[in-house]
Amino acid sequence: MTRPDELDELLPLSPVTFHVLVAMADGPRHGYAIARDVEELTDGRIVMGPGTLYGSLQRMTAAGLITEAENPGEDGLHASRRRYYRMTPLGASALRAESERLLRAANVAQERLGS
Amino acid sequence: MSGAGGREPGTPDGAENDRRRSDPIRAGYRRLLALYPATFRARFESDLLQAFDDRRTEPRFTGTIGGVRLVFFLCRDFATSVPMTRERDRTRRSGGLMRDLMHDLRFSVRTLLKTPVFTAAAVTTLARGIGLYAATFSAVYGLLLSPLPGVEEPDELVLVYRHWPQIEYGSVSIPHYQDLRDRTADVFEHVSAWYFEPVSIASEGRSERTMAMVVSANFFQTFGAGPTLGRAFLPGVEDRDPGAHPVVVLSHGFWQTRFGGDPGVLGRTVTLNGHPFEIVGVAPEEFRGPVNFASPPLYAPLMMANVLTPAFDRIAARGNNNMNAVARLRDGATLERVGERLDVVLADLREEYPQHYQDQLGHTLVRQREAGIHPSFGEAQRSMSAVMMAVVGMLLLIACVNVANLFLARARDRRREMGIRLSMGASRGRIVRQLLTESLLFSVVAGAAGLALASVANGLLSSFRPPIDGPWAFNVQTNTTVLWFTATVSLAAGFVFGMAPALQSAKADTLGAIKGESSGKAGRSRASSALVVAQMALSLLLLVSSGLFLRSLQAATRIDPGFESPSNIAMVSADPGLQGYDEARSRAFWDRMLEEVTALPEVSAVGLATTAPLGLGSSDRFVEVPGYDYAENERNSFYYTEVSEGYFDAMGIGLVEGRVFSRADDADAARVMVVNERFVERFWPGQSALGQTVRTAGQEWEVIGVVETGKYNSLGEDPTEFMYFPLRQLFRADQVMVARSEGDPQAVLRRVRELVRTADPEMPVYDVRTMADHMGIALLPARLGSSVLGLFGLLGLTLAAVGIYGVMAYSVSQRKRELGIRVALGADRDSVLALVLREGMRMAVLGTVIGLAGALGAARLVRGLLYNASPLDPVAFSTVPLLLLAVAALAVYLPARRAARVDPIGALKSE
Repeated sequence: MTRPDELDELLPLSPVTFHVLVAMADGPRHGYAIARDVEELTDGRIVMGPGTLYGSLQRMTAAGLITEAENPGEDGLHASRRRYYRMTPLGASALRAESERLLRAANVAQERLGS
Repeated sequence: MSGAGGREPGTPDGAENDRRRSDPIRAGYRRLLALYPATFRARFESDLLQAFDDRRTEPRFTGTIGGVRLVFFLCRDFATSVPMTRERDRTRRSGGLMRDLMHDLRFSVRTLLKTPVFTAAAVTTLARGIGLYAATFSAVYGLLLSPLPGVEEPDELVLVYRHWPQIEYGSVSIPHYQDLRDRTADVFEHVSAWYFEPVSIASEGRSERTMAMVVSANFFQTFGAGPTLGRAFLPGVEDRDPGAHPVVVLSHGFWQTRFGGDPGVLGRTVTLNGHPFEIVGVAPEEFRGPVNFASPPLYAPLMMANVLTPAFDRIAARGNNNMNAVARLRDGATLERVGERLDVVLADLREEYPQHYQDQLGHTLVRQREAGIHPSFGEAQRSMSAVMMAVVGMLLLIACVNVANLFLARARDRRREMGIRLSMGASRGRIVRQLLTESLLFSVVAGAAGLALASVANGLLSSFRPPIDGPWAFNVQTNTTVLWFTATVSLAAGFVFGMAPALQSAKADTLGAIKGESSGKAGRSRASSALVVAQMALSLLLLVSSGLFLRSLQAATRIDPGFESPSNIAMVSADPGLQGYDEARSRAFWDRMLEEVTALPEVSAVGLATTAPLGLGSSDRFVEVPGYDYAENERNSFYYTEVSEGYFDAMGIGLVEGRVFSRADDADAARVMVVNERFVERFWPGQSALGQTVRTAGQEWEVIGVVETGKYNSLGEDPTEFMYFPLRQLFRADQVMVARSEGDPQAVLRRVRELVRTADPEMPVYDVRTMADHMGIALLPARLGSSVLGLFGLLGLTLAAVGIYGVMAYSVSQRKRELGIRVALGADRDSVLALVLREGMRMAVLGTVIGLAGALGAARLVRGLLYNASPLDPVAFSTVPLLLLAVAALAVYLPARRAARVDPIGALKSE
């Protein structure tokens, strides 16, 4: 399976997938931090409970978008027993492709609205 | 259980772990993790619990209310994630699942449509249960649990009250508020304050009286509600220099209704109580003010308080506590720290102003989220809602059990079908799944219908307006939380009643089922009979109570209120004082009105009064009568009103003795008064009251007339003493004008409005209605009581009818063979019919008898709310049971008819 095909199959990303990837864009994160980050990114529109969070993470792992990672050296509360995730190269290109797609769509919309 | 071994949280910080262990929500959550597939659980269990713990420490999920919110949050989470995690397992296992599912669905739709009566009965039963539950939940959520709409970080808001002996939630004065604001900067980011103020608003030639909100300059910053248009008030500027900031911020709603959402509204002027104010901003649409039951049309800065109400200096009066303080916590500040800080502030203030602070015990802090309607209702509002939720929960449960009965009765009929399918090689799992799909589909339909019902009910609730003018806006709406809640309840209900019949059907031993053997379980049917009896009793109780209220309403319309034909009395209120009139101008205004309205050809008499009878306001004052000594604890304060000449004629209050007021009884004349007959009986029994003296309001008054005793505060009251003083001797600007019309009272109301507008185009009039409508206020408790109880009672009645039907249908299908044998042995159809009818009616009669006993008890409880109606009203106590029995008879007749049609050959052959 070539990479573009694989990407095509993944796009468009669901809002949850998209924001979870954005949350990890600048480094590994643990589950709850991802949930809080997504909540902030979406102004509280996407609030993920524990099951939804790990259900999505499991799916995204299976799709090859993310993978488990080492603790990047954080030492917060219970840091040692938290499970960390990072983006795979496939995840990064999917995020890039999706954000470009959204940007293009947004540009078209803005143009037609004449603003 | 834990497959993740060493990742299970549990080594360090023992205290924290103890707390967790004792958290029932955590324990429940942990148990419910079993809903996830084993592989998912093994991999993520400790992570899920960790995420749960993290959430639990968020401010919005702490405490009792937070716990409730967390439970709903987790239910939603399960609803989304369980299918998500299971899907993977399934798709791996069988590619045909989707096909099976579609097949099941199509088949279910067909089955449900094949028996439309059954489906309709079951759907409406469940829909009512769910609808009622969702509506009640919406109300409880909107008024008690939900954060204020349009507010940023609502968890950081804290209400601050002054704590006095006997008063836990005392308001604050402006100076006290300013000290709080200036001395708590280390714990509060903002401290703001607000109060409601009745004002007359005029703009573009239209005026109305409403409640404005007077707020501190940092009000909008405190709530994090940035304006949609223009600006908010300016802290540091508009909280100084009293009287120097005639500016207002409009609410979004008022901007829309009054100015059509015109963006050019900024810079325009509205007149508040006769003073021009410039519109500088519009509040955001979502923000509806600091309380969840009313929404002010506009906001004015606190520094303008003395301009709006010039009567006294609010801004300087430290002892004038009439504002609500609300503060936003600084990051990391705890209520404990705030409390300590406020204690220090109070100690300082006590030194500076001993006379104002010596009695104050401290401050009471309440998180805004936990305040409900008002924190002083505290436990009461919570336990009331708990009771409501329990009652409607019970109704929902009864609805579920009834539907389960219906399904059971049908499952019996379908045993044959199941047996055949089993013997043709269908797996039990497959059959259970088919039946579950059917009941789930059914509950989705019922849930949707229930939700539709709930949103109708919520619409009614949120548009409910107490019969007092005010910017009421009850925060009751079908929001997403309610949506999820309803979905969960209806799916759970579907599962509950879908499961039992499904398992029973699939368990059926193949051969017996095909042959039509019965395996009756007497215990189960006895339990459902008991349930039906209980339902009958409950709905009878509710309906009788409702009937009592209805009878009482009927009786109330026959009570003599002490004045004639209230539907011909037109009432209009106005307050020239609010328009900035002084006393002389107010007097002139009312004199002009009296003259002009008297001149109207359709009006036979006109008068003014400070308060109209049977409204919500009443005043009483201490009275001394020479020669009369009060016994200890005897009431010495009596109701009164100030009235103008013409009032008694306009109201049609009959004169017994002497004369009523005339225009000559003015400030320069001798002090005179009129009393009612009851007053005379009290102080001068057997004598004439004329010429007697009464000392009150710092003067001596001579009684010049006696009128008939009427009803003053409620229609149900006992005869009450009442005094009338001449308005010209005790003047007040706010008056209600009453005019007796000889034609259409609505036309009179229109004419009076026009006359007021001609006299002063900006004078707001309010409470414009006929006396009959005004009396609706007095009848409100009875109206509410009869409609709420009636609604619950009707709901109970239909539930009971469906219940009886279900149980009887089940019993008939179970006894088909026995009945067949009876017919075969020569019993005629009528006797079979009678047999079944008798059995069913036994339940109905038993329920009725128990219900009547309960209703007798309940009647005592509601007696205080009934007007002139006996709590043992024979009409209510006879009609309702008869109605109930008739409905029950119909519900029994349908299955009985089916029993009578049993084909003896078929019934015997099936052996």
